[in-house]
Amino acid sequence: MRLSTRKMLDRSFSGLGFFSIGLMALALVVLLAPICVGGVKAIVFRGTIEHRRFLLEKMGRGDRVAVEAGIEKAQETRLPVYARIEEFEKEMEGKPRSERRKYRKELGELKEALRELLGPMPGETRPVLPRDQYGQTRWDRASAKLRDLLYVESYDYSNSDAMGVEVFTPRSETFAGTALEPLFPYVETHLAEMLRPRLTFYWGFFTDRPIDANMFGGIWPALLGTIYLTLGAMLIAAPLGVIAAVYFVEYAGDNPLVSALRSCVSTLAGVPSIVFGLFGLAFLINTIHVSEGKSVLAGSLTLALLVLPTVIRSAEEAIRAVPNTYREAAMGLGASKWRTVTTVVLPAALSGILTGTIISTGRAAGETAPIIFTAAVSVGKPLRIWEVFTQGTPALPWSIYNLCTEHEAVDEIRHVQYGMVLTLVLAVLSLNLCAVIVRARISRRQAG
Amino acid sequence: MASAAETPKGLAKSELLMGAGASRLQKTAALVGHGVLLTITSVSALAVLFIFVFIIRDALPFFRAEGFREFFTSTRWYPSSETAEFGALALFVGTALVTAGAVFLAAPLGLAAAVCLSDVLPFSLRQVVKPIIEVLAAIPSVAYGFFALVVLAPILQDQGGTLIAVCLWIVGLPLGAIGAVVIGDLTTAGLSERLRGRGRLFVTMLLLAACFTALFVLSGRLNHIEILSGTNALNVSLVLAIMALPTVVSVSEDALTAVGRELREGSYSLGATRAETVFKVAIPAASSGILAAVLLGVMRAIGETMVVWMASGNAAMVPRPWYNLLAPVRTLTATIAGDMGEADHVTGSSRYHVLFALGLCLLTFSFVCNLVSEWAVRRSKRARG
Repeated sequence: MRLSTRKMLDRSFSGLGFFSIGLMALALVVLLAPICVGGVKAIVFRGTIEHRRFLLEKMGRGDRVAVEAGIEKAQETRLPVYARIEEFEKEMEGKPRSERRKYRKELGELKEALRELLGPMPGETRPVLPRDQYGQTRWDRASAKLRDLLYVESYDYSNSDAMGVEVFTPRSETFAGTALEPLFPYVETHLAEMLRPRLTFYWGFFTDRPIDANMFGGIWPALLGTIYLTLGAMLIAAPLGVIAAVYFVEYAGDNPLVSALRSCVSTLAGVPSIVFGLFGLAFLINTIHVSEGKSVLAGSLTLALLVLPTVIRSAEEAIRAVPNTYREAAMGLGASKWRTVTTVVLPAALSGILTGTIISTGRAAGETAPIIFTAAVSVGKPLRIWEVFTQGTPALPWSIYNLCTEHEAVDEIRHVQYGMVLTLVLAVLSLNLCAVIVRARISRRQAG
Repeated sequence: MASAAETPKGLAKSELLMGAGASRLQKTAALVGHGVLLTITSVSALAVLFIFVFIIRDALPFFRAEGFREFFTSTRWYPSSETAEFGALALFVGTALVTAGAVFLAAPLGLAAAVCLSDVLPFSLRQVVKPIIEVLAAIPSVAYGFFALVVLAPILQDQGGTLIAVCLWIVGLPLGAIGAVVIGDLTTAGLSERLRGRGRLFVTMLLLAACFTALFVLSGRLNHIEILSGTNALNVSLVLAIMALPTVVSVSEDALTAVGRELREGSYSLGATRAETVFKVAIPAASSGILAAVLLGVMRAIGETMVVWMASGNAAMVPRPWYNLLAPVRTLTATIAGDMGEADHVTGSSRYHVLFALGLCLLTFSFVCNLVSEWAVRRSKRARG
């Protein structure tokens, strides 16, 4: 082969390496960008007057006078809409029955769309579900609902080879020539006055309880549940892991028992996370009955088992990295093995142990599969600390799954799902950042 | 656990109070301390045995009641119907398909990135790339699943064909160009000095033209692919590949770094280029470590639950043809996660125990993978001395 060809091959080989690293970076950006953008929208958005009314009535927050004045003003601009409908209904009474029947279904749909957009009509009885009590709380959702009001969505299957094509027909065509025709341009142009959107920072997203299946409110129970589960898991796994690591590095000899224990630990690291869940169900709940059913305790134990190998490994590495001269110096001063470990080796290895533990905490927080059968419930109150032994809890990872696959109105609460994912990702990544900072600080201290 | 926390303290106190004469007591205390440490360590290590025992205990009733044959050979998975059928073959195929797709993507890319980290990039740049890998590894699987379901699936469904065609161009064009140059070089090596230059140009151009036409025809066809559902095996494979990448990269980079400078310097001094050194020296020397890396990647992909549960389409059938990545599939993990919700109040039925049988299959497979990868790592360590 010619030298130039070999050089070209060499270059393209380096290029392949750069390409794959670039691809990883790209994957990270493509993954995190939508999550960040969508997640921020859960907290910072253009909130309508309905949002402020909801906060005032359900959460008791907000300036009552200002909100009521806002509602008053919004109501003023909404009145012409309702007046049109009334006029139309009167007009219909004068028409023959066939004409009336023709419009009945369309009118019902129109009223429904209007209710979704602006909340119940004046004079109607107050609905039971909060989602029917209020109009759209977010301006972006309101814009989507406005489209539902203005257009009828249908699918065109005339071309049997291709998939159905979405067709939008304006509703105003249906009502052409009636009293309702001017309603559509009016709503379209006056929507902002009817809903009075304003830039809102909804910090309550983290601390409010969800209301009406996460249609309103925040994610506090899930967030708290994740915190309980993670803390519980680490309270169990960290001491056990560190003790096992100390044993492996400082005490264990080179005998078959120890190498068997070692391979047990590495096998544990390879067990799929869902199998941990099965084990938690079969052993912790169905056999030794740590609780009646799902509970935070059972979930924490399962998660602890899951992160145990990671904790052991990182602690082992950290303890191994302590120079032998430290141990020799302590021994030379007459310290026993135990004192050497507790007063010299462990403090020196603390940074490494801490780093590993923090990263494992992130892992425990994000795991879903082990808690499905052992701890996670779909709907629940924020638990008090003594309830963790007996009750299951909603948890962020499970709620994310639940809301984006099993919720009855998946598209309506996209912002909540994104917000949850962002919260979880941020929590895990900031834990990792903590680990990096700890590592950097301690290594600087040791170097200097 | 309480005793674990108290014993060391007690031990330290007794040591402080003890004089030189109490060496016997001290020895006993040390022995007891050692014993306690061993016990605690064993508890954490033996947890894995517990897992095996309890999964097997709950899986056996299924095999006893239904036998092995249907489970492993039938593709009819109707655990909740009147006459329940437990043919898990489709689930095995789904798992295998998704994992194969993920590893097919992650192994070469991961290896290339690992080589780049160990041999190509300067130290300062390496410090920039490492956090990217760490972050990719740290992101929770449910976030990946959410991404696959909410972001990737609609894109695949709407623009899937175009996307695949673009990927084909990105991969095919450089590959084709390099291949054309290399083949042009090799085939004309035997020609005489005078003809060689022109011959090489001719062959290379011919091959390039062929490559272009092939790409055009192929991408034209791919462009017209209509993906019925964005939640399919391809989607899951892509995301699983991203999830497996950090494992593959970091483990194989460790293996490549461990090969050491001497071998590489020997190769360079013989006039090899960097690519030749890596391919002929570093990768063969690190082959067991790389095998371990790929196996760990496989384990990561097989054991993953949330992504496949959310984005694989969950259709328990064998895709037609069997390699069709665009079909929805259902995997072992997703079946366990999905069906337990309906089965856990019928504890004791076959419907409940079959999920443990699936879990046992997963467990056995990951156990075997683990053994092989451990063996590979040990072998590479021994080879290095």
